[in-house]
Amino acid sequence: MTETLPRLGRARAALVRPWLLLAPALAVLAVLLLWPLVRVFLFSLQDYGLREITTGEPNWIGTANYAEILASPELWTVVLPNTVGFAVLSVAGTVAFGTGVAVLLASLGTFWRTVTSSAIMAAWAMPAVTGTYVWVWIFDADRGVFNDVLMGLGLLDDPTNWFTNRWTFYAIVLLNVIHHGFPFVAVTVLAGLLGVPKEMLEAAEMDGAGSFRRFFSIVVPQLRQVFAVVIILSTIWDFKVFAQVYLMPGGAGSNRSVLNLGVWSYVESFGQNRYGFGSAIAVLLTLLLLVVTAVYVRTVLAEEER
Amino acid sequence: MTRAMRRPVVAATGALLLAATTAACGSGGGGTESEGDGTLSVWIMQGTNPDAEDFFADVSTAFEEETGATLDVEFVEWADAHDRFVTSIAGGTTPDVAETGTTWTPEFADAGALAPLDEYVDGAGVTEDLVEGLVEAGTYDEQLYGMPWYAGVRSLVYNTEMFEKAGVEPPTTWAELEEAAAALKEEYPDKIAVAVPGDAEFTVYPWVWGAGGDVATLDGDTWTSGLDSPESQEGIEFWTGLATEGGYSSEGATTWRETDVLDAFAAGDVGMAVMGSWTPGAIVDANADMEGKFAAVPIPGKDGGIAPSVLGGSHLSMFETAEDKDLAFAFIEMMTTGEFAQQWGEQSGYFPGQVSLLDETLKSTDPLVAPFAEQFVDGGASVPAAATYGAVQAKLTTSTMMQSILSGDADVATASKAAAEEMTSILNGSE
Repeated sequence: MTETLPRLGRARAALVRPWLLLAPALAVLAVLLLWPLVRVFLFSLQDYGLREITTGEPNWIGTANYAEILASPELWTVVLPNTVGFAVLSVAGTVAFGTGVAVLLASLGTFWRTVTSSAIMAAWAMPAVTGTYVWVWIFDADRGVFNDVLMGLGLLDDPTNWFTNRWTFYAIVLLNVIHHGFPFVAVTVLAGLLGVPKEMLEAAEMDGAGSFRRFFSIVVPQLRQVFAVVIILSTIWDFKVFAQVYLMPGGAGSNRSVLNLGVWSYVESFGQNRYGFGSAIAVLLTLLLLVVTAVYVRTVLAEEER
Repeated sequence: MTRAMRRPVVAATGALLLAATTAACGSGGGGTESEGDGTLSVWIMQGTNPDAEDFFADVSTAFEEETGATLDVEFVEWADAHDRFVTSIAGGTTPDVAETGTTWTPEFADAGALAPLDEYVDGAGVTEDLVEGLVEAGTYDEQLYGMPWYAGVRSLVYNTEMFEKAGVEPPTTWAELEEAAAALKEEYPDKIAVAVPGDAEFTVYPWVWGAGGDVATLDGDTWTSGLDSPESQEGIEFWTGLATEGGYSSEGATTWRETDVLDAFAAGDVGMAVMGSWTPGAIVDANADMEGKFAAVPIPGKDGGIAPSVLGGSHLSMFETAEDKDLAFAFIEMMTTGEFAQQWGEQSGYFPGQVSLLDETLKSTDPLVAPFAEQFVDGGASVPAAATYGAVQAKLTTSTMMQSILSGDADVATASKAAAEEMTSILNGSE
């Protein structure tokens, strides 16, 4: 009896102590993240516009915003396919290209590795807006380098406006986003690559494994967690691409076939002063990304246990 | 600065002398200042007039002489202004008087933030003298909420050098315009005879109106877009046809905005284009070689005359939070009539909102002033003065129509019908 009491107290303390230590951080997160999230959710249940802001009175409409979003044909035929298709391609492209660059960097000597990684950093450091304008300028119909070269080579008779077609439009966005996103992948994967034990690679080589076999059977499994982080982050970023589409000619909404979730929600909510509707879109996007992340984390963890 | 320094003083005196009423002082920024000390708070957009600081120093002096009240002018960036208005409307901290862009006035009036001005304007006896397009834009629910202050207008600007070389005169009808474009194209096959931009709604409406069509009309409480009427379609057909059939524009122009048109025109690559009365300065700034090599004419109607063009500019609006509305209007009147209105127009390069002040300008022989002034007085129009027109602009309804026609995705009939349906639905707030 006398012995169990202190033990219980100690157990309780052990249970409480971590939370006490976390409390300040959690309090900050609650104020900065949780409360805005709750507010956004509350707005999403209202028809919230300029008039509601002026009067300060709530205007509850239940789930009508959600119903309107999910019933919108534009969402299913244009916005979601564009967003998801683009995210898949750009995540795949960014990770593949970034990994390739990481492998290249790992095989370089110190000097050339420094030079190459500095060059890569420049691409990373470039603001999305600047980068987008550079790509727009390259593909400009009348004065762009791309059209000039194609016409010079005789592959094109007349200038073509690449921004008016859904596929070519997104091909340019894809180039832009991959170019802007691969340095992060390259640097992260490089760190992982340098941690792969040399002995394992040498042993595999002795056993007659070629370079591809060594890469896919030894390096990739070793880097599973690195890839998990890189893929999840890229997915989140590429899902909510906004500036890279909005700033392209026709991307702000005048070319309806290239709308993605980011631009669509901006045009439909803020442009129309329908803040409730925009909040509902934000809530749905958050849920969608949470699901994607959860599924991915689970698969990675499941493989880990095996 | 002055604002931050004055506050504590007001609060301190309040606490010492009128302890009982201090609670009232905390009721809100704009309100408290115009209350006791006879100050009028004003927001003015930055960048319209390069000498705005000096201008308002003079206005302040004159205003104090006339009314005994002091003026507290704050300059606001155009880019932030809409958000600032919205948040200050929400918090009840709006200024007493503010410059409001013409398309915002109905929106803020609808939100209940603005005070109607009819009574005051009638009292001042200037009702008949106001420029019509600006009155139209400032009228919401049959009441005037925005006092016309200044505006610019778009006309047809052309490259005189190219016109001379091609041996053509500035057009006065659509047929002449097309002939001029053909002649320019023959003389300059690598240049753009006439720029038909896809993402610039204000360059489209003159052709709609010039053919006798309407952008949108109000009947009772219901707006109806007329973009798909036979007349409007004829105008859109003509304007887009210059690009799609004549090949007088360029591939790139399909996604151009007005700034792209300006860049290309300044580079000397464009024969003619619909451009604003405020652009000549920017053209010469971008390329000094263009000095004296371009001129303007009013946009021709189909068979002659002047096709209406949107007046883009600003109103002065009085907010409901203004404690002393007579004082507020005294300021509005001082700014929009007489000497100061004229001076503002001269310094900023825009036209004043009163017909009588334009007489002088109309007599000008400057090829970059007179045609714009003529367009302003005889061919000025407004976009639909609906609280929801901003939503139509945000949705880029007209640009969507233009781009789908110019890129060959849709014909005029289909695209204009879709645009009209969308515009009607947004204007009536039924989504």
